[in-house]
Amino acid sequence: MTDNTDLTVNIAGIKMQNPVMVASGTFGFGNEYKNFYDINKLGALVTKGLTLMPKAGNPPPRIHETPAGVLNSVGLENPGVEQFIAKEWPCLSKLKIPVIANISGDTVEDYYKIAKQLSTLENLAALEVNISCPNVEKGGLAFGQEPESASEVIKAVREATRLPIIAKLSPNVSHIQKIAEAVVSAGADAISLINTLLGMAIDIHSMGPVFCRKFAGLSGPAVKPVALRMVWEVYEAVSVPIIGMGGITTWQDAVEFILAGATAVAVGTANFVNPIAPIEIIEGLKTYLYLKETNLHDLIGAAH
Amino acid sequence: MSTPAALFANITQNTQIAPDIYLMEIEAEIAEAAQPGQFLHIRCSDTFAPLLRRPISISDADKKTGKVEIIYRVIGQGTHLLCQKRPGDRLDIIGPLGRGFPMPEEGKTSIIIGGGIGVAPLLYLAKQIAKDHKNGHLPLTFLGFATKQEAFGIDFLSSLGIKATICTDDGTLGYKGFPTTLFKEHLNQYQDKSNLIIYACGPKPLLSSIKDIAAGEHITAYLSLEERMACGVGACLGCSVKSSQAGYKKVCKDGPVFEAGEIELE
Ligand SMILES: Cc1cc2nc3c(=O)[nH]c(=O)nc-3n(C[C@H](O)[C@H](O)[C@H](O)COP(=O)(O)OP(=O)(O)OC[C@H]3O[C@@H](n4cnc5c(N)ncnc54)[C@H](O)[C@@H]3O)c2cc1C
Ligand SMILES: Cc1cc2nc3c(=O)[nH]c(=O)nc-3n(C[C@H](O)[C@H](O)[C@H](O)COP(=O)(O)O)c2cc1C
Ligand code: FES
Repeated sequence: MTDNTDLTVNIAGIKMQNPVMVASGTFGFGNEYKNFYDINKLGALVTKGLTLMPKAGNPPPRIHETPAGVLNSVGLENPGVEQFIAKEWPCLSKLKIPVIANISGDTVEDYYKIAKQLSTLENLAALEVNISCPNVEKGGLAFGQEPESASEVIKAVREATRLPIIAKLSPNVSHIQKIAEAVVSAGADAISLINTLLGMAIDIHSMGPVFCRKFAGLSGPAVKPVALRMVWEVYEAVSVPIIGMGGITTWQDAVEFILAGATAVAVGTANFVNPIAPIEIIEGLKTYLYLKETNLHDLIGAAH
Repeated sequence: MSTPAALFANITQNTQIAPDIYLMEIEAEIAEAAQPGQFLHIRCSDTFAPLLRRPISISDADKKTGKVEIIYRVIGQGTHLLCQKRPGDRLDIIGPLGRGFPMPEEGKTSIIIGGGIGVAPLLYLAKQIAKDHKNGHLPLTFLGFATKQEAFGIDFLSSLGIKATICTDDGTLGYKGFPTTLFKEHLNQYQDKSNLIIYACGPKPLLSSIKDIAAGEHITAYLSLEERMACGVGACLGCSVKSSQAGYKKVCKDGPVFEAGEIELE
């Protein structure tokens, strides 16, 4: 019965068998979770954030637990785009599901170059552009914190590639709608949100910040209400498809995001807690649609 | 390396063996694959408090009975919830995870050094070495505890015929002092140290000291490290330790056991 439920979605030409993806940085390059289920059952896979040159990442500690949340200061550790293409892509390209490369940069030019290099890959489904990174040339304010710099990055990537572009928004802004409008006019085909919320923790024994970089990114159930509100706002501001994420751990959470306006959802921190969470969410969605006698498309934004 | 599984295991025992220290026994198919030095990533709560799993080393596993044991110290919310579980309850685990201790080559003399709760994974290691060693070499063990009350594992070792050299910080049991001091003295009796292999787990100062001694004497040493973990499987890059080459290694996947020369301990 519920197996016939149509869960397919099309996001800017990315055809997915269901709307449940895994979030960048929480699923490596797909190798680790193969032990727990067939990852070809996912809607799509988003890679760990890639940069032009290899990045060693931040010194430990990188993880600190908070009530219903996790602060991370991984610092975009990754092998760089060249090693990614040589070592990780051969395996990833064999997957039957869309693979989306998440990219980051220190400068607008970095984004352009990495997008150009990844565009040569056959089968790569899309680029997800992480604009939460500090703009090195502009004193470290994140690209995604101002409409102008967000738009500049997306324009550069648009010039570099014909792949669908998903702009991944930072929640650390006061007017998320303005950023959303800016990236869409710059050429983004879809929007994903939210990236992690800036937070911090202080060690009361050493009396200093827990993390070397002082601030870290908050994710997990604790951020869900904020993420949901932002998906809602962005849905009202732009007409491109939205990928909602931030604290999704159950199918009920996923349904909330879809009702708020998301066409697809991504599971991040929940993978650490329950490695089969994405599969349980897919199954739960099917049952929900069946019992509600509705279809996925009618659900999107239905709470507005 | 064995393939980890995510599963619910049946708890068959959960008893206090020392103040704040518990031994839990579970029934799980992974008993077959579990290697000394590997760990389980345990979800201690059904709710989000705490959210993340807790890594705990395997302190014994028996292929025949299908039983796996862990020994843990109650220090926070996660381990507190763990100690409240009863036989018959289910335990949400992922495992066995990580790279464990490599077994010594034929003819080598193994020296095992542990401190506090770090003794837990070494018990399973000692058992495997005692069992596998064809020429009958039993491992030498140096174990340190804060005080007599907190000592554990001694009976387990003696049942294997292994005599443990014990020391306590306060001298209430065995020698007064650190196991590293005793170990250093013990080393003097070897003319040729090339036949030795060291295994250690415990607090950072213990590991650093072993690392220094091993480097100075050119002895191969394997250290089991700890770092805060999220995924436990190598996906989040959260549990980094500085590599002696460039960059970082992941404690959960490249370790938790490392050859001492592979990593920097600050
Ligand atoms: C590979 C591995 C194997 C382990 N094996 C064992 C084992 O066999 N037995 C055992 O008792 N413990 C073991 N540990 C440690 C164990 O994971 C922690 O004690 C446990 O996670 C604490 O959880 P909690 O919720 O009770 O305490 P929390 O509330 O998380 O922590 C309580 C306090 O301890 C500190 N703390 C906890 N864990 C660590 C850590 N890893 N490094 C530094 N500070 C820490 C916290 O900062 C806090 O102050 C192992 C850890 C690793 C990484
Ligand atoms: C350990 C970790 C690493 C992450 N790395 C990246 C990254 O490289 N690029 C990126 O765009 N987002 C990254 N994120 C953000 C997630 O993709 C996601 O947007 C965020 O965690 C919110 O979702 P969640 O609450 O379900 O985890 C990372 C998150 C975590 C927890
Ligand atoms: S805990 Fe995630 S990589 Fe080690």
